[in-house]
Amino acid sequence: MKGSIRFSNVSKIFRWRGPRTRHETLKGAFFHRRVLRRRSSSDQHVALDGIDLEVAPGEAVALIGPNGSGKSTLLKLTGGILKPSSGTVEVDGRVTALIELGAGFHPEITGRENVVINGMLLGLGRREIEERMQEIVDFADIGPFIDQPVKIYSSGMYVRLGFAVAVAADPDILLIDEVLAVGDEAFTRRCLNRLARMRQRGVTMVLVSHDLDLVTSFADRALYLDRGRIVVEGPADAVAARYRSDAVGDSDRDDHPPPVRNVDDNTRWGNGDVDIVSVELCVGENTSRLVASGGPCSLRIRYSVHKPTEDFVFGVAWHRSDGTQVSGHNTDLAGLVPGRLEKDGEVSCEYDSLQLSPGEYLVDVAVHARNGLAYDYWCDALKLRVTSEVEWPGVWSPPHRWRSIGPEWEESDGTPARDGNSRE
Amino acid sequence: MTVFRLLWRHRALIAVLVRRDLDARYRASVLGFFWSLINPLLLLAVYAVVFTYIFSPRFPGGDPYPLFLFSGLLPWLFFSGAVLDGSATLIDNGPLLAKVMCPPELFPAVTVLSHLIHHLLALPILLVALIVSAAAGQHSFPWSFPLVVAALVPWLLTTAGAVFAISVLSVHYRDMRDLIGHLLNLLFFSSPIIYSLEGLQVPAMLHRVLSLNPLVSLVTVYRDAVFTGRVSPPQLWLTAYAVGIVSWWLGTRVFAAYRETVVEAV
Repeated sequence: MKGSIRFSNVSKIFRWRGPRTRHETLKGAFFHRRVLRRRSSSDQHVALDGIDLEVAPGEAVALIGPNGSGKSTLLKLTGGILKPSSGTVEVDGRVTALIELGAGFHPEITGRENVVINGMLLGLGRREIEERMQEIVDFADIGPFIDQPVKIYSSGMYVRLGFAVAVAADPDILLIDEVLAVGDEAFTRRCLNRLARMRQRGVTMVLVSHDLDLVTSFADRALYLDRGRIVVEGPADAVAARYRSDAVGDSDRDDHPPPVRNVDDNTRWGNGDVDIVSVELCVGENTSRLVASGGPCSLRIRYSVHKPTEDFVFGVAWHRSDGTQVSGHNTDLAGLVPGRLEKDGEVSCEYDSLQLSPGEYLVDVAVHARNGLAYDYWCDALKLRVTSEVEWPGVWSPPHRWRSIGPEWEESDGTPARDGNSRE
Repeated sequence: MTVFRLLWRHRALIAVLVRRDLDARYRASVLGFFWSLINPLLLLAVYAVVFTYIFSPRFPGGDPYPLFLFSGLLPWLFFSGAVLDGSATLIDNGPLLAKVMCPPELFPAVTVLSHLIHHLLALPILLVALIVSAAAGQHSFPWSFPLVVAALVPWLLTTAGAVFAISVLSVHYRDMRDLIGHLLNLLFFSSPIIYSLEGLQVPAMLHRVLSLNPLVSLVTVYRDAVFTGRVSPPQLWLTAYAVGIVSWWLGTRVFAAYRETVVEAV
């Protein structure tokens, strides 16, 4: 199917360059018989190790992970720029790639000529390029620079033009490697807008980014790569949260035992120093899964301590099932200074008035160190439904009223619209 | 064969790239594309002066010597120019290779074709020189001139083979370029360009070694057509074409062997 990507057990192995020289020389080849000798495994760097991946047409997938984890290599394999050392890569449809600052441009020739060459490499005919040239030039918006050699471009211009060409080529699959970070705000917004439109048209996208907010807002799914392997794969926000927690844990890995949870369970992780036992929604005295919009309620979190600590933060994050972030709060942000956590117990987060629109909500609950290291991070620990008489759109449903200064309204009893959702 | 098909599929792109190559060479200069003619003419002048006035040639050349020299130098400049550029072509186009899915075969092909076009642009000068010298009664006009097309084919194949191999080897072995310069020098003096092999006053052993140079047949066939004015014997044509085909075959084989790692090495 056009726009699909499939990796089966793909590995990519790079050979190290010689220790002293970056590039091999003929001299070296002849005198040290490098040409004939079989490479030993110490000469190799495994960039990707047995990757299985399937991306459906129209899906947006983000690749996250530390530098050198294999994200760009994976992207290049998808783009056909590199060949896998083993395994198979199947890609269906026209692929355009924005890898490491823009499309491939030749520095000596003008932007316009580069557009032609790039367009042809992407499979457009000459006439198609001429037709789209104006659109590309307009989108890049780099003024007279378009007729100057690319070597004098600023990195921003380079990215602008690269982006303009890549999206104009009408790809089935678009690969984006950390390019949105370079443009100015206006251009980034324009890019995101364009990308959103392309997504609606069903263009498959694979995105490499360190901007986790972008990842969670843009991608359906994320892959967290480390040292050439997929650590965890799943909904973008859960994977991003996991990566965030690991990235903090990484800096003081020695102080903490490695995560004890099964890595395959990508909705919950942490090192297990403190465990969340249960999470309940309480309305009045009862536990429930339903709460009225605007009504009081609380989240009751029961925990058990395996390793006493003086560094702990309890937090909850509300989001919609489509991934929209609603709110997040924790004891640290609330100004609570941790004392000592020694015995099992309970903590409760109380809301006087839950001003949410009706619908289904998910709550992540976590207990972690102040630097973010997770003891227990539990995605979607609780699913609940907010109810209301009126189907307010959006997520926020504040009490409100309309007051007439000019217009006149008929009195129609019982219409809640007159008086918001405030209830007495 | 697959290389041919690949190049044919991208012919429109190759045309654009060749154009870019030629544009880039001529645009920046006032004299425009005359530079491409001035270069061989200067070289020709130097050799002609040196071998007419400074060293009286101990080897038999044709008469007039500048024309003889020009007819040997022209295809050689095509070959050596393409090979020199070929050693840098993949490295220069690294940005394209590393970021767009782009068959690396395109770039050596573009190098060869743009040098071929140079060569074709220089041919009218040779033709004018031949006509002038025929009119002055110094040299009878070689009516075999149209055979130059047939004589160019082995040159083209040989050059393409060499460029394919060298382009990809220079990416993997960065000292290749230095080596190429020396090899080209050696090849230049061991080819019958500034001299002719017939009746050369050298030891028989050296003569035999010199005749082993694969370029001998190519130079001779070309010069026979555009200068001597005779149709070369069939075995010479066969040899020239055989050299071309073997070079193409070898070159594309070497290219294929190193092709997959080009992007990583660039």
